[in-house]
Amino acid sequence: MIRNAIERLIRPSQTGYAHCDLPCGVYDPAQARIEAESVKAVQERYQKADSMKSAAETVEDYRARCLAIKEERANMVKEHLWVLWTDYFKPPHVEKYPQLHQLFWDTTKEAGLAKKSQDPAQGEKLLGLIKQIDTIFWETKKA
Amino acid sequence: MMQRLWLALVALAAAAVSVLALALRRVLMRVEVAGESMTPALLPGDYLILRRGSPPAGMEYGQIVALHGPRPEGDGRLLLKRVVGLPGEALRVGGALQVNGRVLIEPYAHGDTPAEQHRGINRLAPDAYFVLGDHRGASTDSRDFGPVPREAVVGYAILRYWPVARAGWLRPPDRRLLGVGPEGPQPLYWQTPAPDAGNP
Repeated sequence: MIRNAIERLIRPSQTGYAHCDLPCGVYDPAQARIEAESVKAVQERYQKADSMKSAAETVEDYRARCLAIKEERANMVKEHLWVLWTDYFKPPHVEKYPQLHQLFWDTTKEAGLAKKSQDPAQGEKLLGLIKQIDTIFWETKKA
Repeated sequence: MMQRLWLALVALAAAAVSVLALALRRVLMRVEVAGESMTPALLPGDYLILRRGSPPAGMEYGQIVALHGPRPEGDGRLLLKRVVGLPGEALRVGGALQVNGRVLIEPYAHGDTPAEQHRGINRLAPDAYFVLGDHRGASTDSRDFGPVPREAVVGYAILRYWPVARAGWLRPPDRRLLGVGPEGPQPLYWQTPAPDAGNP
C-alpha cells in the first residue's frame, strides 16, 4: 500500500513520446489519392488533347505521353494501396471493418483498370473507392 | 497547548510544501517516457524532470526537448527529441548529418537516416530547431515534420529520477563537428599514410 502510494506520488502525470511510426511506416491514404487525382487529370487531358497539346506535338504524341504518365501513376496508386493493405491494416481492423479486403481488392482492381481507361468517370470511381478506405483509415487512427 | 502548537506547525509545514510544489510546477514538469526513438539515452518507463520553456540561448544543442507534435494526426502529443540543428544553420540530412557543411559527430545517435530521406540543404529559420530521435532508424522527427518553431518547445530534460539505478542529470553533449577543433575550423585534408590504420 505504501509502495503504491509512493509510486503514485512519483509517477508523472504526463507522457512524453519518444515517438516513431517509421518501423511500421508513415501511412496515409492521401498518397494513393494524389496519384489517383493525377490519373483522373490525365484522363481529362487525354479527352481534350486537341486543346491541351503544345504546338510542337501532334495529338497522337500528346496522347501517347498521357498514356505513359497514366500507366505510371495508376501503378503508384496500386503500390500505395498495397502498403496500406498489407502493412498498416491489422486483423483487428478487418474484424471491425469486414468489408476491408473486398474494398482493397476492388480499389486495386479499379487502379488496374485505370491503365486501360481514358474515361475521367473511371478515375472518379477510383477516387470514390480510395475515399472509402481513407474514411476507415482515419477511424482506426482515432481508436 | 503543546498539541495545538504541533498542529499549527504541521499545518504551516504542509502549507509551505504546497506553496513550494506549486511554485516548482510553474518552473518544472515531470514526464514519463514512452517509445524507443530516444534510446539509449531514454528508455521507455523513465521518469524525467524537465525545465519548462525552450533551452537558454547558447545551450540549445543536444538538449532533449519536449514539444507538441506538429502533425495533425499526432493529437498534439508531447514528443521527446534531441535538438541537433540551431536557428539559422544550414543542414544536410541523409546519411550523416552535416551542419554548415561539416559532419556532425553524434556519439549519442545510432542507426541511419535512410538515403531516401535526404532532404537536401535546408537553412533553418531564425526561430526554428531541427530535432531528431537518437535512434535514427526508428524515429519520427524533423525528417518527417520539418523544423519546429521555438514556441513549440515546452520544456527540456534536466534530470532522470526513475529508475533509481539510472537516475542522474541529463546534460547535453558537447558539439563536435568533423574537422573543427577547439581553436575553430581546420581545413579538411587526406593524411598519407592514414594515421594508425590498424595494419601491421
